[in-house]
Amino acid sequence: MNVRQLWRERNAQLVVAAILIALSVIGWTAMGQKPFIRTLLSGLTLGALLFMVAAGLTLIFGLMDVLNFAHGTMFMVGAYAGWQFYTNPTFLFGLAPLVLASITGLALTPVLRKLSMTWSIPERWRRTLGALLIVGSLVVGLVSVLGLDIKGLAETAMVPSMVAADPLQEATPQEPLATFWYRPTLALLAGLLLALAQARPGDRTQVVHREEVNRGLALAGGLFVLTIVATLVREAAPLAVLTLNANVRFVLCLLVGALIGGGLGAVVEMGLIRPLYERPIFQVMVTLGLAFVLTEVIQVLWDPLPYQMSRPPLFSQPGKADSLLAWFSEHTTTVDVMGVTFPSYRLFIIVLGGVMLLGLHLLMKYSRLGMIIRAGVQDREMVEALGINVERVFTLVFALGAGLAALGGIGAAPFIPVEPVMGDRFLMQGFITVVIGGMGSYSGAAVGALLLGLARAFGDYLALKFSLTPAISEASTVIVMAIVLLVRPAGLFGRKE
Amino acid sequence: MSDILTVEGMQTYIGQFHILEGVSLSVPRESITVLLGRNGAGKTTTLKSILGLTPPSEGRVVFNGEEIQGKRAYDIAEMGIGYVPEHRAIFRNLSVGENLKIAERKNGDLERRSHFIFDLFPDLKRLYHLPGDHLSGGQQQMLAVARALVPDNQLLLIDEPSSGLAPVLIEQVMEAIRELSASTTVLLVEQNFLMASQLGENYIIIDEGKSVHRGAMEELVEDEALIQQYLGASVSKAGGER
Repeated sequence: MNVRQLWRERNAQLVVAAILIALSVIGWTAMGQKPFIRTLLSGLTLGALLFMVAAGLTLIFGLMDVLNFAHGTMFMVGAYAGWQFYTNPTFLFGLAPLVLASITGLALTPVLRKLSMTWSIPERWRRTLGALLIVGSLVVGLVSVLGLDIKGLAETAMVPSMVAADPLQEATPQEPLATFWYRPTLALLAGLLLALAQARPGDRTQVVHREEVNRGLALAGGLFVLTIVATLVREAAPLAVLTLNANVRFVLCLLVGALIGGGLGAVVEMGLIRPLYERPIFQVMVTLGLAFVLTEVIQVLWDPLPYQMSRPPLFSQPGKADSLLAWFSEHTTTVDVMGVTFPSYRLFIIVLGGVMLLGLHLLMKYSRLGMIIRAGVQDREMVEALGINVERVFTLVFALGAGLAALGGIGAAPFIPVEPVMGDRFLMQGFITVVIGGMGSYSGAAVGALLLGLARAFGDYLALKFSLTPAISEASTVIVMAIVLLVRPAGLFGRKE
Repeated sequence: MSDILTVEGMQTYIGQFHILEGVSLSVPRESITVLLGRNGAGKTTTLKSILGLTPPSEGRVVFNGEEIQGKRAYDIAEMGIGYVPEHRAIFRNLSVGENLKIAERKNGDLERRSHFIFDLFPDLKRLYHLPGDHLSGGQQQMLAVARALVPDNQLLLIDEPSSGLAPVLIEQVMEAIRELSASTTVLLVEQNFLMASQLGENYIIIDEGKSVHRGAMEELVEDEALIQQYLGASVSKAGGER
């Protein structure tokens, strides 16, 4: 009875586990221990990366029904942001005041709506006014960065290696505050104009409530303080970061990459996705468009070249550690794992993926936010009817998903090239992972990522061994997807609709 | 101010369909008011429009003296309105405890109310750690009602609590609703006329998206002609599955 119940509830997990164990035994005996372990570890590394992309994708789709084509871009943005922060954060700190200032303006949308909805503007002028405001916002935004050497800021991190050079000299001095102050001010104005356009002045049919206005004011207040702080520490902060121990800087860059990705996700959700919940097709188009735009922006700033972020000293001491235990004192580039020499940083990626899964699991299982997300995946309307502000939850989940993808990007940056197309590569794989795992299930995404990663790695091995075309390993992911979908059309952990 | 909720000329579109074409009603405090009407008359939409889940395009909704039409559903619910949707819409992938916990608006709501809730539904205490989809239909319905009792709600909107339940369970749910109406106000949608007539003090009949009749339940029970005109079909099927 108990066995039968266990089977009914967990049949997908059990079948996957059984297949993996069977394949492992076959692989171990047929391939021999060393090649098997090497391939297994490669598969796990790739699986960990795929999971980081797919986890956010599946959460966002499950809860909000948004197919986020910009998710790969978040991965890429995370990689670039983290790479910048690690190598030379001048660019990030130089632009932070402008970005924060414009978001502050945008955050005031509900306040402006309240103020402007009673203006008497003839119906036929409203559209024109909206368009004018958007153009005005763009012009003011452009003026605010006019003469600012953004490309120069971006290039500060493009020096070949920071190891030999003195980092303090690489941090270029920024504009003095006396001439800089008008830039964030104009950025704030640009944000305000855009907010006013969104507020649709003169449209009395809108309903604005005190709660919304208060939320907007509180958010804008917090952002305003951040803007001022960011303006004041523009020059001191990069220097301070660069004098930090490189390992500490690496940990910080993981955090910063994730935060920037998360912040970008929050802004995208509030600015682009939220107005379009009634029109899902437009959402898909807007995320696709955003992916193109951000990729182009990155290309303009850093050229379409691949960069390699240097590994932190923790993973780059010459030599090979004889065991995992020895690595903890030696911090070598490679580690001996059961007779196989494997890069220590890739092991770190596997661990990072595992930590992320664990953290996500704890969040989903034991926090109130996780409870709301799990409930919302099933019945969004009822969650709203309980008095829970679903919009805020949507923003949080979008930010969380984008943050996870960005963390994956920066995690991957030290061993895959940092380039504008890196996101697209992972996005398609991420979608396949989500489909295999079942839309909306993060544990499904984990299993899907594991399956894909292993299929890819063992596919590569087979292709090499039997001198088949390498396309075999590319196709292996799709083959896995086809098999899973034939057996379970809703994915491994998906619920039937 | 004896009415906790007043609705005047409420009109609602869902997509391009004009579902509510003018619903007016009032719900006196600490009583049970029943929304009656045929299938598809717009009873469920009326509840959803009051709560803002399908926002009305016209009309006034006044709760506790404050106009709430056009507000977000979560802001309306926050003001003290609980909703028990039809078909026992509990969160099946959450445990019973989580289903209750998620309804908290302030920390400690559940703890404060748990005595009251578990007195009303002793089963739920026993099932506390089970996932929602392990519950029977009756238990799910009780959980859905209990969930609405966790925060301090002054008005409960309950949609067809008897649908699909065995008669003995209907009895139990009815008892629970009667008991909790001593402390809160209930606006109930009910197809089962027997149950509606025993529970309700007032009634409102909705027909083709309009409120057409209202009054005291005692009078309606006597008025065969009215029942036949607006409820005929549903009365004859009273107690059965829709």
